Amino acid sequence: MTPLNLLHNYLVVGAILFALGMVGFLARRNMILMFLCSEMMLQGVALNLVAFSRYHGNLQGQVFTLFIIAVAACEAGLALALVFMLYRTRKSLDVSLWQDIREVGEPPIADGEPLPAPPEPQGFPHLIPSGREPSKPQEAGHA
Amino acid sequence: MLDFPLLILIPLLPLAACVLTALLGPRFLKQQSHLLCIGAAIGSCLISIWLLATVSRAGAHAAHSYYNWIQIAEGHPDAVDIGFRLQADGLTSVMLTMITFVGTLIAVYSVGYMHGDEGYPRFFAVFALFLFSMTGLVLANNFVILYAFWEGVGLCSYLLIGFWFNKPAAAAAARKAFLVTRLGDVGLLLGILLIWFTYLGQLDFEYVFHNAHAVPASTLTIICLLLFCGAVGKSAQFPLHVWLPDAMEGPTPVSALIHAATMVTAGVYLVARCTPLFVLAPTAQAVVALIGGVTALLAALIALTQNDLKRVLAYSTISQLGYMFMALGSATAATSRALVGVAATAAIFHLFTHAFYKALLFLGAGSVMHAMGNVIDMRRFSGLRKVMPTTHWTFLCGALSLAGFPLFAGFWSKDEILSTTLAASKGGHTYSSLYLILFLSGLLTAGLTAFYTFRAYFKTFWGPEKIPHEAGHHAHESPRVMTVPLMILAVCAVGIGFVNAEPFTHLFHDHLERIPLVREVALEMGEEVAVSKPLVMSLSIAMALGGIGMAYLFYRKRPELAPELARRYQGLYQLSFNKFHFDEIYYFFIVRPVLALAEASRIGDLYLVDKIVDLIGTAPMMVGRAFRPIQNGLVQFYGLAMAMGAAGFLIALMWRYAW
Repeated sequence: MTPLNLLHNYLVVGAILFALGMVGFLARRNMILMFLCSEMMLQGVALNLVAFSRYHGNLQGQVFTLFIIAVAACEAGLALALVFMLYRTRKSLDVSLWQDIREVGEPPIADGEPLPAPPEPQGFPHLIPSGREPSKPQEAGHA
Repeated sequence: MLDFPLLILIPLLPLAACVLTALLGPRFLKQQSHLLCIGAAIGSCLISIWLLATVSRAGAHAAHSYYNWIQIAEGHPDAVDIGFRLQADGLTSVMLTMITFVGTLIAVYSVGYMHGDEGYPRFFAVFALFLFSMTGLVLANNFVILYAFWEGVGLCSYLLIGFWFNKPAAAAAARKAFLVTRLGDVGLLLGILLIWFTYLGQLDFEYVFHNAHAVPASTLTIICLLLFCGAVGKSAQFPLHVWLPDAMEGPTPVSALIHAATMVTAGVYLVARCTPLFVLAPTAQAVVALIGGVTALLAALIALTQNDLKRVLAYSTISQLGYMFMALGSATAATSRALVGVAATAAIFHLFTHAFYKALLFLGAGSVMHAMGNVIDMRRFSGLRKVMPTTHWTFLCGALSLAGFPLFAGFWSKDEILSTTLAASKGGHTYSSLYLILFLSGLLTAGLTAFYTFRAYFKTFWGPEKIPHEAGHHAHESPRVMTVPLMILAVCAVGIGFVNAEPFTHLFHDHLERIPLVREVALEMGEEVAVSKPLVMSLSIAMALGGIGMAYLFYRKRPELAPELARRYQGLYQLSFNKFHFDEIYYFFIVRPVLALAEASRIGDLYLVDKIVDLIGTAPMMVGRAFRPIQNGLVQFYGLAMAMGAAGFLIALMWRYAW
């Protein structure tokens, strides 16, 4: 197997990873899944870099990949925090619930398939002081 | 020439008072705002009197250069060099003394008249600003500074006429005054520009007057007529006289100071100052005399039937200013060089006495108005001589002086003017018959003046006691702060004429002869024109006494006679009552077309210019609207757009490099 063939194989795998990630990103509405898909695209690119590094016989691509991994880690922290904030506001991970942030006066894009009913808000369990019933139910999420 | 650096203080003190009053008045001084203004006026007055004495004793003019104001292209033949230089000769020192003295008295009077007014500090701030502009106007030694202060007094006049700007009539009157005088000011500005072109950038009075002989007569005539345009506007002469009666909407002290004693005489001062130019332009002289004579007669005719006491006085001011211009126009060199000095003296002397007795009359009218709850219509009150004794006798002094009663101030100055006009008609030159007609109309005007003055006097102070209900129950004499200035002015109105009671005393004449330039013109004394003084004097006495007698007959002896006469000559009466329809004519022929033009411009602006601008403004909006659907809020759509854009770029790159 020549080095060029080897490179081709790696590039194909990288392209598949990237394409899968993109399809996932464009097709899914779950924010966490979209985030994971974007990570997948990133890794497809990283694989390309590693492959080229091996092909050229130097370490530049690998160093670059290390950087990408570091950046991806930071980005993962940020993105998860963002997703969490968005979830807290809408009580859902569905990104299409944020459609309202469009140009004022534009009609909403109706989905062919209606959105599933939002799940019941699930409060965290409260610890009841023993022997006493709580006077009034507290609001969910603020425990 | 004397160096007198203190000259600057005369305008500067009132300016300082103005600035301080404007800054401190509304917050701290409040009802004490008059203190600074009166202090500055007294200070200026003292310096002016000192200056008068100095100039008179030295027999030379005082001057001082302060700084170079405008300097362009030094050394070049077209160089412009305008210095801020003040200069006071006989004429200026007399004017200054008169302005500051009358100004001080009126400022004191205003303390009583304006008491408790909401705009009290504002009044005194503008009052001081006016004193600054007016003193600066007479002190200027070149045309540019003169013009600057000339506009300054116009501004103060506007501000003070519109002092009660909540009143629509006052606001309209202020606007009218400003616009009408502006018409004249354009003429003045053109005249100054023409002087600038003719004299290659030299605008100093001395230079202009000394080199007047070298200028072609036709140019000089045009210059003089343009300068006179400015004087016509400012001094409310015949075609531009319409603003002055309306200006009576302002507070009465303002009417007394600005619209009787000082500002309206600025035009007379300008023409007197430029006598060396006018002497060389006999046609312009004749125009000045003609306009003056026409105005004097016309205004006197209108004053006959007015019912508003202040308006009667306003028309009489216009009429007296006409007299002054008549005298100035008679300063024609065609008859005799000596006459020039005499004529200018006569005009300025009349200006001087007029300032005192007309200020007195206005302040008297103001005192009446103050007591009558701001009613000034003579049909609504009468018989006030018991209620307001001091106002009554001071007003009588002013009225006698205005009517030209023998030995009162107005008598001496009016005689001077009439004999000057008569003298100008001698010698058989081109305009002799014009001057003769003017003399006769002047005599007639003297009679009319006496009549309408005493008509107002009898209607106000005699007859059954009648007080309008606005006055309430406390119709009373005005406070001392108002009556004391009245008394001082009354003494002046009686006695000030004796400073130049020709042929007995010549104090005024001798002082004015120290105007270096007039003296120079007058130096080549021709033979004195023989005017029979006793003849003129007896004629004018006859007219004055006749006028007073007629007024006595119509308004005291047989009151039913006046309405009957008015009925019989209904047309003439209406003509005079409606002020010869000047306002209506101007409205129809000037104001309406201008308004139509303004409306047309407004429509053009609104529907043509604005629409084009709007169109340009909508273009970005339309583009934005086209792209708005892109922002639909779907994250996937944004991602797709990004991916497709990146793909597009990649394809383009590959297209370029691969194939």
